[in-house]
Amino acid sequence: MFYCVNLLSWLLSEPHYYTRMHLCTSCKLNVMKSFITYILALTLCLPSFAYGQEQQLHQFIDQQIADATSRPLAQPSTDAEFLRRIYLDLVGQIPTALEAEQFIGDSSRAKRAKLIDTLLADPRYTRRMTEFFNVMLMERRGADDNWERFLRTSFENNTSWDQLVRDIVSPDTSNEDSRGSAYFLTKRLEKYGQNPTDFPGLARDIGRMFLGMDLACAQCHDHLFIDDYKQADFQGLFAFINNSFIRRDTDFPAIGMQPVKAKLEFNSVFEEGAFSTGPKLPGLTEIPIPEFVAGEEFAIEPNKETKAPGVPKFNPLDYLAKQLPATTNESFNLNAANRIWFLMMGRGLVHPLDLHHSDNPASHPDLLTHMANEFAAHNYNIKWLIREIALSDTYQRTSVVSDGLADAKPKEFRIFHEKPMSAEQLMWSMLAATGQLNLLSADDNSSATADPEAEEEPLLLGLDDIRTDFLAAFANPPREPETDFAPSVRGALFVLNGPRVLSWIPAQPGNLAERLNQQSANYANTLYLAVLSRHPTAVEQDHFDSFISNHPDKTAAIEQAIWALLASNEFAINH
Amino acid sequence: MTMKPSTNSLCTPDEHQVSRRQLLGMTAAAGALGLGGLGGLVNPLIADDMKSKEKQVLFIWIDGGMSQLESWDPKPNTQFGGPFRSIPTSIPGIHLSELMPRTASIMHKLALDRGVSTFDNSHSAGVPRINRGDPKDRGVVYPYFGSAVANLMGPGDSGLPPYVWVKPGSGGFKYQDAGFLGPKYGALAIGEGEAPPNILLPGQFDDDSNNERNALRKFANKQYKSQRPPTFSEAQDFVYDTAQALMQRRSLFDDPDPADVERYGDTPLGRDMLIGRKMIEAGVRFVKVNSYGWDTHGDNFNGHASLMPRFDQAFTAVVEDLDQRGMLDHVLVIAMSEFGRTPRINGHIGRDHWPEAWSIAMTGTGIKQGAMIGETNEQGTWVTSEPHDIGHFFHTWFNALGIDSEHTEYINDGQPLPIANDDCTPIRELLA
Repeated sequence: MFYCVNLLSWLLSEPHYYTRMHLCTSCKLNVMKSFITYILALTLCLPSFAYGQEQQLHQFIDQQIADATSRPLAQPSTDAEFLRRIYLDLVGQIPTALEAEQFIGDSSRAKRAKLIDTLLADPRYTRRMTEFFNVMLMERRGADDNWERFLRTSFENNTSWDQLVRDIVSPDTSNEDSRGSAYFLTKRLEKYGQNPTDFPGLARDIGRMFLGMDLACAQCHDHLFIDDYKQADFQGLFAFINNSFIRRDTDFPAIGMQPVKAKLEFNSVFEEGAFSTGPKLPGLTEIPIPEFVAGEEFAIEPNKETKAPGVPKFNPLDYLAKQLPATTNESFNLNAANRIWFLMMGRGLVHPLDLHHSDNPASHPDLLTHMANEFAAHNYNIKWLIREIALSDTYQRTSVVSDGLADAKPKEFRIFHEKPMSAEQLMWSMLAATGQLNLLSADDNSSATADPEAEEEPLLLGLDDIRTDFLAAFANPPREPETDFAPSVRGALFVLNGPRVLSWIPAQPGNLAERLNQQSANYANTLYLAVLSRHPTAVEQDHFDSFISNHPDKTAAIEQAIWALLASNEFAINH
Repeated sequence: MTMKPSTNSLCTPDEHQVSRRQLLGMTAAAGALGLGGLGGLVNPLIADDMKSKEKQVLFIWIDGGMSQLESWDPKPNTQFGGPFRSIPTSIPGIHLSELMPRTASIMHKLALDRGVSTFDNSHSAGVPRINRGDPKDRGVVYPYFGSAVANLMGPGDSGLPPYVWVKPGSGGFKYQDAGFLGPKYGALAIGEGEAPPNILLPGQFDDDSNNERNALRKFANKQYKSQRPPTFSEAQDFVYDTAQALMQRRSLFDDPDPADVERYGDTPLGRDMLIGRKMIEAGVRFVKVNSYGWDTHGDNFNGHASLMPRFDQAFTAVVEDLDQRGMLDHVLVIAMSEFGRTPRINGHIGRDHWPEAWSIAMTGTGIKQGAMIGETNEQGTWVTSEPHDIGHFFHTWFNALGIDSEHTEYINDGQPLPIANDDCTPIRELLA
């Protein structure tokens, strides 16, 4: 560990780094500062909380965003903009041309709210949330059927966020629908490459995903740059899981626990002395470790025949399941609200999502606190929170820059900022735009009659291979959060030359190219509705109509035009 | 590639922090310094220094551990010398193993350090440690040399990715080398001499129809960009431009000239060295050419009798080619392993891992040709001159490339990090 001391001496040898240093000598002051901030925040929140009783959350959101700036806010999105965005966010794919045309043409005033409710009830909502939370929670570490089933069942039933997290940190092996939740823990305890079992990484990820705190740099010492993150916070979290292991006696992901006999001891590379902690969440009380007479640690003794590990009387994960997803755990509530805000807005009120501390406060602290409190008060109802955000003017603003908005910063939420599309959103949208999705489904229908279970869960023919290709082209490497926009050369080559998407373009019965082939005019309108979910502008209409009409080979021209819009930035971005 | 402040009013500096979490081999960072084109890949600290310096690196990685005793530092007729003789070279007084006669003939073009002394003697620790220049542990994963150069010097004007890795086995985009710099500084790997996935224009297109569809795509992009902040669009445009630059250079992956194959050797290393030369000629900033299979714990002498001629032929051919084209003026060439091999010959007539005393050869830009430095004792067991660790070489190579290694830092999430081990310094005797 002496390298950390080297780091210290190196930092100290460079005077200009002093400003970034917040070492332990100054901690007392900083604790005071945090405490005052906390009291202030509480005081500020009280009136707004009272006010929130009379106001719906989406109205509160808009008021807070407007109150925080003196600069102009963007106009409402057009119907087409809103339509594409809400489809991508709630059901993970673009609308069909018909859906787009109908919605744009619908003159009823409540049509946006109605669409939001329709999509929240759509089976594809379950698929979208399963995909989104799989990426967020597992960060492309791999796939597991049991885990997928856990997520799917949870979102199908609109399981509350606290229950979902409880399932993850303390999986119930007897529940076949939910026990795959253990994959969150077990996958992180798998060895990869020649690295040792990454217990610290698991502790870190529990902090990141469920408390919005990345405590990685506080493993060996208090965080150098972040006053709030203490070594004791990391070690307390670590003490929940450092005796856990992957069970080998089950055919589903399952976690076991060795008896915990003593507190976890640790040293700081900066401070003299030995420290110890039992399981403890940041800001909460330490969990006492009960003493058992040797040989009486287990509630259920290990079974040598079935190879089932023993169940210790004291399991820190039981306490984690009680303390972490609790309405009284402020960090838990703030993180949950922030992550669902990110799902809709593409950027957290706290950003990055896992660096919440007093020097990186929320852009709109009262809004986040209120939203977190309301989320808890609504029993962590995920659909409710998504619906409220979707109903807000803030979510429904245009992403088009107009006067007074050129200086809009993402953290201001004065304009809707472009968001990246996930590999899954791109896949479903390209399938939908070309009409290939119907062809996969049609293939499935023919076989569905033979397999009664297929009705419940339509298996799209060849979907696994398609997904593999799209993940290879567009997904992040494992263990990298997918929060920023980062297109890749590999993805561009996939669209430019890959046989997968190119093979969906030529005319087949019922697909987009065939529809266009049958037309003799107004190609651009059909094309734009199908691929970009909007009507073309006059310039675009003229450009594409004359391109196709004047081309010596109409079929080829139609294919070129479809490809060009599929490969366009407007298609690749959620805006 | 030079750095310019953004002139677009939609870009304000505080939104331009490059996230180290940008994904994937060769990605464009949205908002990365707000530049179109390739600017976002250049480290701003030294971007101005790099202006007009189109220096490149050819890094030959001999994976598993080449025996210094059967190559650069022979000790014939000694206890551990083995069966091979030594031969004179083009530098009087300097001898190489008889297994590398071609290299011996161009010795005056090279610089050699026989006083290399490093630490890790396992592959799993040694390979990354050596490739990262043995930085002090500051709680971050340091980049491999190729990713470091890609970050510090940028991709240049070639339009091609800055870090290309030519290797046997699988190709693809290998982000792991980049460490904390983030996946976009990873390597584009060419496996088995094959082009990256989807680089070839499918048969249904010719140049005209390809241009036609891309013109339509660009028309659509122009409509979209005219109404939106530029950063997402620019990042997208960058990856499409790079992809198309790669496609334009698809001849890099064509079957090689038979005369070249004859000179480089009809072997995987000969093939890859030839692709490496083409990549350097095409302007790639950093090319790593990889040879595997050098871990000769058993039957070391037959192993090297078979491996060394392949290295000797390919290495000599590439140095001669670069020299004849005048390219050694701006290309740094390095040949090395993760460690040397034990002088002691084990029970399997093999040699094990020996980081304590081995050799590294180099030539090209910034390097003093003919510099022969470093010494081992008579039996080749220990370095008797001043020992040089990998940190010294990183300093040396950065300086050969015109980078002041002692005053240049990475900034990672606010943490300044030296680019080379700050206990080490450049080896002046190797620098021109």
